[in-house]
Amino acid sequence: MTLLKHFLLVLIVGSIAIGCSSKSSSQKENKNVVLGKLELSNGWARPASQGQNGAVYLTIANGTASDDTLLNVQSDAADRAELHESYKDENSTVGMRPVDRQPIPESEKLLLKPGGLHIMLMNLKRDIAVGDSVSVSLEFAQVGTRTLQVPVKIQE
Amino acid sequence: MSNNSFTPTLQALCTALLLSLAILACSKPETIKDLSDASYKLLNTDSSTVDFPQDYKGNISVVSFIYTHCPDVCPVITANMKNIQSGLEDTSDIQFIEISFDPQRDTPQVLKEYKKFFQLNSQFSLLTGEPAPVDSLLSQLNIVAKKIQPDSLQQDSSKYDMIHSNKIYLMDKAGKIRAEYPASNVPPKNVIEDIQKLR
Ligand SMILES: [Cu+2]
Repeated sequence: MTLLKHFLLVLIVGSIAIGCSSKSSSQKENKNVVLGKLELSNGWARPASQGQNGAVYLTIANGTASDDTLLNVQSDAADRAELHESYKDENSTVGMRPVDRQPIPESEKLLLKPGGLHIMLMNLKRDIAVGDSVSVSLEFAQVGTRTLQVPVKIQE
Repeated sequence: MSNNSFTPTLQALCTALLLSLAILACSKPETIKDLSDASYKLLNTDSSTVDFPQDYKGNISVVSFIYTHCPDVCPVITANMKNIQSGLEDTSDIQFIEISFDPQRDTPQVLKEYKKFFQLNSQFSLLTGEPAPVDSLLSQLNIVAKKIQPDSLQQDSSKYDMIHSNKIYLMDKAGKIRAEYPASNVPPKNVIEDIQKLR
């Protein structure tokens, strides 16, 4: 009997622990950060037509020995580019808002991904279709400005 | 309590639990909203008038709500609709409907572009319309959409973002809404399972 009680208790505590630990809201992780440099990878943009808004996603891995900060974003494909985040409010409606500079501690990653942080391209100057590429520049406090070309893709 | 008296109680409890789970798994979703007699005149991407939901009766519809100036969440919803479509072995009696809650900017032509850019096939209907019928349909379906003006662009009234509901509805062949899901993050298999129950 006590054994059974204990077993049930372990089961309950265990499932609570699992339930809590699987809820990872953090945008940052430190797996596979290449040491010695700040690396931009997995970049892509959504397709959109001229005059619409676009979004760019990528992973920023800070492998340098110092903390860095993403200060600003830019793209020649749009009138303006801003760092945004999508959010859900308590009524389970969704929206997005501009966000401030994003710190990226040493040997950590910052993920820009669908439904979360994104580079918003406002008022596109041209159509960007699947197969095209888009140039984006990211300004960091430590390593300066990095420019990259990202392919236009459809989200899987 | 002795071991003997506890075990039968536990057994009964487990049996009851399993039974109720089995019933839950087999039961068809209840009607959330009955639109079977409703009629909303909306516009298709070729500017032709459609009667929602009358024109869609006879098929099961997966219905979501978007605005095309939305670069992040709405494409996630669209991607999820596509994943539901590709997860179905047989899509012959299923249609996918995305209704714009921004008819001011989402003209049939704009929705046509969106459909093309996101490579949505002919099973997808992207609908807009005059503000009046669109608004009355949205309120009937408890879909909220609110414009927000970014401070920096106050002068230009055509530049706004929207805070909006995040819902996918499943509508049966008779035009009754039978299930609702969080649009951007429902696992496609949950919707597919319910579709099978309604077939
Ligand atoms: Cu945005």
